[in-house]
Amino acid sequence: MKKYKIIFLLLTGVFAINSCNENDLELTDPNQITPETYFANEAQVQAAVNAAYANLQTVGLYGRLIWYMFDNMSQENEDNPQMEPDKRTFKEFTFNSTNGEIRDFWDTCFRGINKANFVIGSAAIIDAIPENELSSTNRQKFYGEARFLRAQYYFMLVNRFGNVPLHNGDFSQPEGKPISPKADVINLIIEDLEFASANLLSKGVEDQGRATKGAAQALLGKVLLYENRHAEALISFNKMSGYDLEVDFYDNFKEETEHGIESVWEVQYDLTLGTGNKWGGAVVGSGQNHATFRGQDYGNLNWFNCYPSDDLFDSYEAGDNRVNGTMYFVGDTYNNGNNTMEAANFVAESDEKPRAWKKYQNYYKQTDEVQESGINAKVIRYADVLLMMAECANEVTSQSVAVGLINRVRERAGFGPNSLPTTLSKAQVFEAVVQERKVELAGEQVRFDDLIRWGRAATFLAGTGYQDGIHRLWPIPDQEISSNPNVTSADQNPGY
Amino acid sequence: MVKMKIVLIAILMICSQSILAQTKTVNGTVKDNSGETLPGVSILIKGTQKGTETDFDGQFTLNSVEPTDELVITYIGKTSQSILVGAQTSLNIVLQESAEGLDEVVIVAYGKQSRKTVTGAISTVDAKEISELPVTNAEQALQGRAAGLTVVNNGSPGSSPQVRIRGLSTFGSNSPLYVIDGVIVGNLSGISPADIENVSILKDASTTALYGARGSNGVVLVTTKSGKSGKGKLNFSVYTGAQTFTNRYDVMNTVQYLQFASSINVFPNRPLSLFQNDTDWQDEIFQTGLIKDFKLDYSKGTENSTQFFSAEYLKQEGTIINTGFERYSFRANSSYNTGKFKFGQTMSVAISNSRGEQSGGGRTLITHAIKSVPFLPVYNPNNNGGFQGPSNAGDGQDAENPVRIQTHPEFGNKNLGIIGSLYGEYDLMEGLKFRTQVGLDYYNGRNSTFIASFSDDPSNTHAQDFASYSAGASFGQALVFTNSLKYIKTFAEKHNVEFLALAEQTENKSSGFGGSARNLVTDELQQFGPVNQSIGSGNSKTTRQGYLGQLNYNYDTKYIFSASVRRDASSRFGSNNRWGTFPSASLGWVISEEGFFGEDSRINNLKLRSSYGITGNDAIGDYRYSATLTGGFEYPIGDNNGAGVTENGGSNPDLKWEEIAMLNIGLDVGIDNNKFTASLEYFKNRSDDLLVQLPTALSSGSNAGNITANIGSIETKGFEAMLGYNDTEGDFTWSANFNIGSSDNEVLVLGVDEIPRNAMKDGAGNITNIQVGESIDHFYGLVSDGIYQNQAEVDAVFTANPAQTTVQPGDIRYKDINGDGDINSDDRIVLANPLPDFTYGLNLSANYKNFDASLFITGVEGVDVYNTNKYDLEGGAGRAFNGSTVLLNSWTPGNVTTTVPRFGGAQQNHSISDRYIEDGSYTRLKNISIGYTVPSKFFEGYLTKFRIYASGQNLITITDYTGLDPELTSGVDYGRYPQPKSFLFGVQISL
Repeated sequence: MKKYKIIFLLLTGVFAINSCNENDLELTDPNQITPETYFANEAQVQAAVNAAYANLQTVGLYGRLIWYMFDNMSQENEDNPQMEPDKRTFKEFTFNSTNGEIRDFWDTCFRGINKANFVIGSAAIIDAIPENELSSTNRQKFYGEARFLRAQYYFMLVNRFGNVPLHNGDFSQPEGKPISPKADVINLIIEDLEFASANLLSKGVEDQGRATKGAAQALLGKVLLYENRHAEALISFNKMSGYDLEVDFYDNFKEETEHGIESVWEVQYDLTLGTGNKWGGAVVGSGQNHATFRGQDYGNLNWFNCYPSDDLFDSYEAGDNRVNGTMYFVGDTYNNGNNTMEAANFVAESDEKPRAWKKYQNYYKQTDEVQESGINAKVIRYADVLLMMAECANEVTSQSVAVGLINRVRERAGFGPNSLPTTLSKAQVFEAVVQERKVELAGEQVRFDDLIRWGRAATFLAGTGYQDGIHRLWPIPDQEISSNPNVTSADQNPGY
Repeated sequence: MVKMKIVLIAILMICSQSILAQTKTVNGTVKDNSGETLPGVSILIKGTQKGTETDFDGQFTLNSVEPTDELVITYIGKTSQSILVGAQTSLNIVLQESAEGLDEVVIVAYGKQSRKTVTGAISTVDAKEISELPVTNAEQALQGRAAGLTVVNNGSPGSSPQVRIRGLSTFGSNSPLYVIDGVIVGNLSGISPADIENVSILKDASTTALYGARGSNGVVLVTTKSGKSGKGKLNFSVYTGAQTFTNRYDVMNTVQYLQFASSINVFPNRPLSLFQNDTDWQDEIFQTGLIKDFKLDYSKGTENSTQFFSAEYLKQEGTIINTGFERYSFRANSSYNTGKFKFGQTMSVAISNSRGEQSGGGRTLITHAIKSVPFLPVYNPNNNGGFQGPSNAGDGQDAENPVRIQTHPEFGNKNLGIIGSLYGEYDLMEGLKFRTQVGLDYYNGRNSTFIASFSDDPSNTHAQDFASYSAGASFGQALVFTNSLKYIKTFAEKHNVEFLALAEQTENKSSGFGGSARNLVTDELQQFGPVNQSIGSGNSKTTRQGYLGQLNYNYDTKYIFSASVRRDASSRFGSNNRWGTFPSASLGWVISEEGFFGEDSRINNLKLRSSYGITGNDAIGDYRYSATLTGGFEYPIGDNNGAGVTENGGSNPDLKWEEIAMLNIGLDVGIDNNKFTASLEYFKNRSDDLLVQLPTALSSGSNAGNITANIGSIETKGFEAMLGYNDTEGDFTWSANFNIGSSDNEVLVLGVDEIPRNAMKDGAGNITNIQVGESIDHFYGLVSDGIYQNQAEVDAVFTANPAQTTVQPGDIRYKDINGDGDINSDDRIVLANPLPDFTYGLNLSANYKNFDASLFITGVEGVDVYNTNKYDLEGGAGRAFNGSTVLLNSWTPGNVTTTVPRFGGAQQNHSISDRYIEDGSYTRLKNISIGYTVPSKFFEGYLTKFRIYASGQNLITITDYTGLDPELTSGVDYGRYPQPKSFLFGVQISL
């Protein structure tokens, strides 16, 4: 019997050794914070808001691709042979629904929206944070930042895709949402920006880099202008205070003069904070990727993939000093005046080009872009606001007020205080706005949207491959259709 | 009852009682067919448990033998023999190599089994086959050795090949489970191939379901060598040789390139003297590498203990410059027997340093080599770093100098691995044994890369004006605790029963940290510099628990039945679905035992067997079921980094195992006393609840980007055949073994329309696709149809889109598959399948007196390859890179009868299409060797063995593939490190 007792003990032992603790199977991820314990103080809410900014920096947007996509579509760029074929599709309007850059643009915008919605949709938890941990002013400011960013990303999306899925406060829903009419999205954008206008802090009070009251007012005005709601747009623009034009046009595009008097809304890059992850995915936005590639891509001393087109150059009137803030020519000095541009610096695959981009290049202070630039992208600057105000005023106030606004911008360009007469007709003022936006904001990703909303794309882009019934919108990426059961090929934009 | 003396010989377990009688003493010698004495051979009197083992010299003595006794001589990997004693008192026995020999002892999950009673699908590979090839990693040596096992090697020294058993059964990892001496490990790279005694490849449910939730991809069971009975034996072997790679793509030389460049209006702005260079960039990156290997082992055994010690040093230079692998490995295995209590251990330590291929801009060295323009020299002492590269424009700026990419950095990947086990066994009573084992798999790795500042050209196109240093360390530890009870009993002489109850717990931990930083001031310090510092760390843990019950029964080794059930739990799954059950059952009928064929039938073995069961797969990442936050979304706020955190998305609390139901039917045949053997297998596997990373709707914006769910189903089926023949005529013995296997899969349920994978370079989409009704990862794209030679041909295709202007004469014409008068992504179809129709291996070996020779051929048939190099070579990027000489025949308005598109053509020329798909079938002379064993008499007893041999690997490859090496994972050639041809010379000495 003793033997069997031992066997019995061992038998139970065989299993007892292992089964002692089912809790061994309950593990939590030591690398991650859990949502249950988050949103307990100001720093945590702020970090969730910060994350929503990060997608603006990505290669899919201002890190790289947005420059190519918009400047190529607007034909402000002439491409050199080494421009990669996928970038060239935007010049020739040959992109289709498999295009990777369009997918990245869509993806990174929606990731930004999702991060903003994480804050907005967690309001019940955030509202429960006690006042001594998070003041109500800052709470509202944080909601304002999140809603401003959501509006910024959605505005980029509706301009390029029209109807898009609408997420209002839900986040990381795996199954996706159906396409909502553009009008519904615009309504949310306007609500968000009205909230942001009321709750964001003013420039100078807020930390540099965050969305401000002025930025929200300007973006709200821009959205309303795009909707042809000129009177409301003008009201929003007119609320802006503390902004003016830089004395020197080129100060808008240098690193040392960021956040100047003209700056309304910038995407931040800062090499000193780290650039180790600058190539780290076009859409994710994590890591130290505080560099943009525009200088490397566009610069004639570096990859020189493109240069300002003949059409753009020819648009400058004689005596317009902006041409020298926008483009380099043979004989221009650079590197703090220590070097001079030579003809050989303009050669692309053995062919000498007449000019090169200067806006946003670091050559004013160095000889090489070193694959990273810390110059912030100006999404909205006050000259843009003045010209949008002129466009609105021409519709709802008077031609003379509009001309006055245009002349403020032209005066800095070297044309004297009253270079356009106040007697211009409404149509002439409109033409003046069209012209002035083209030369003032060249290479700043506004012209293509302008051409579309003015209905001028078909004429201006004739012969490039542009077809008005198709290319005013981009195709919804294939990956959206394959990954979202609520979006089908039937939702695809016309012509794709 | 006589106590079992040699309990580890499984054949004993099916024997019943013995009857003793005092008669005479028999002694003898056992040798293999090369004349080498075999220690540790089991000699048993049939129908009894009485027997002995040969000693170190292959000698044995057996007392109390009756003339009517039949001796059964068995040895792992050899065909067993039965000898009627009769009048003989001295026996000279030669054991033949078994070709899947019927009487061999087969290592199975948690035990051993006689091949006779095996009802599952198991292939075995023995030490001799593994040691034949100069491999750094034992998985490489398995290629072509077992039907249904597919191995795709990579030429990079020290790399692990891709191993698949019976094709693909999941969208995730299809890598088999590796078990070394009972310890579950990640792969076989941590042990010296020379230490391997035997490998069993478990392929069906009745053999793999014992591993429950981890067995569905098949199991590779490795047993390492143990000491053999007899006095100590010291073996020393050395081999050395050269490895080369001689295939080259045909690219343009300087004269041709300049002709091509001027034809596309590219005129490199360079001094004329530069054009006197004619650099063959492929020759610059390839080299002849030396390989050398020294091995020493010592083996000893007594009745109560065995010891085995080994040490190996291996050094291999790659065939690509500045790549290589170096390893020191040590092993100590021992076992002790104190009667009822036995214990033992295995332990190996390996220290390695591997230097693999560096990548530039995510492109392979071969890609850079074929795109680099030939007029640039490799070196230029005037440039920082001493290399020359292209300038901004004109030279093609993203073809980097591949020699600089590979040789300028100082890098290494050092690893320490320890794999060991400790076990104890106690005989509780007759037939009942308790066993406990703890196993350890430990690694500690460190990698670092230092890149001094450089500038390949004054234009700084490829330049780094700072020194960068990155380094990381990783640590991992897996512990396996296994307790089991095994009961073996024969009832009424013919009912053989074996029962196993087992509990197992595993705990895997890993952690790592790494950092990178720059030094703007100096290149002298290989340390983290002061700026751009970035650090990271992480760790994870997986725990598993499992219980197994198994019953094996056979009636007189004629009717065989076995069944098992395993319950497994894993921390990788949420509490809703944490436990899974994995049953299996199998039947075997040894028809040849029925007496149907008569006594003098030439068919000595005929067995029909079948198995069915369910196995699982939990190979997804850890913690996937729980919702988490994720950080790192930094944004500059003021002058500071603003920390960013968001919800990660992608969690699914209902995750559970993948389940694969496997059916296997097999037939074994042996003719003329196993002179000819054949095994046929048919299998049909159905995978369900496959973990599909369903992409979350792109517009959901989830950071994870996907959610893992149990969605998919696949059916995989195929056949395998193994044929063996061996013969002896006088001093000449020879054998031939052939195996062939096929595996087809069809996706039945996917949950999404498609899963594109394997991205094409330059953002041109994905090359492979998963979709319902097709094989996993088939090629998917447009169908090309020559070149538009004139505008009329363009207009004829774009009938619905006549305004399109981008496609012009000279561009690639694609078929309008859906007939809508336009060419777009809707015209893509399934183009080809990168999975082979079948893979095969043929081994021929022969011995004549002291000479031995072997020839080993492997191949795959019916496989398609997507050659992305061809895209580059034929000007795919549309930029002024170097390329194939066919570019000189590009379409121009004056050359309208060509098949090469116009240079820099329309975007659609970059589409994924059948244009780059080639037949990747190949037949390869994997190994040929010839050896001579100097007779031991020659050394007058100082040496017992002295063999010299020469061998060659991969000397001949027959293929239509135009790329460098057709052996590719997932069928896409991105410029993969090709496998070398090698020539070796070696010596093996024993004393």
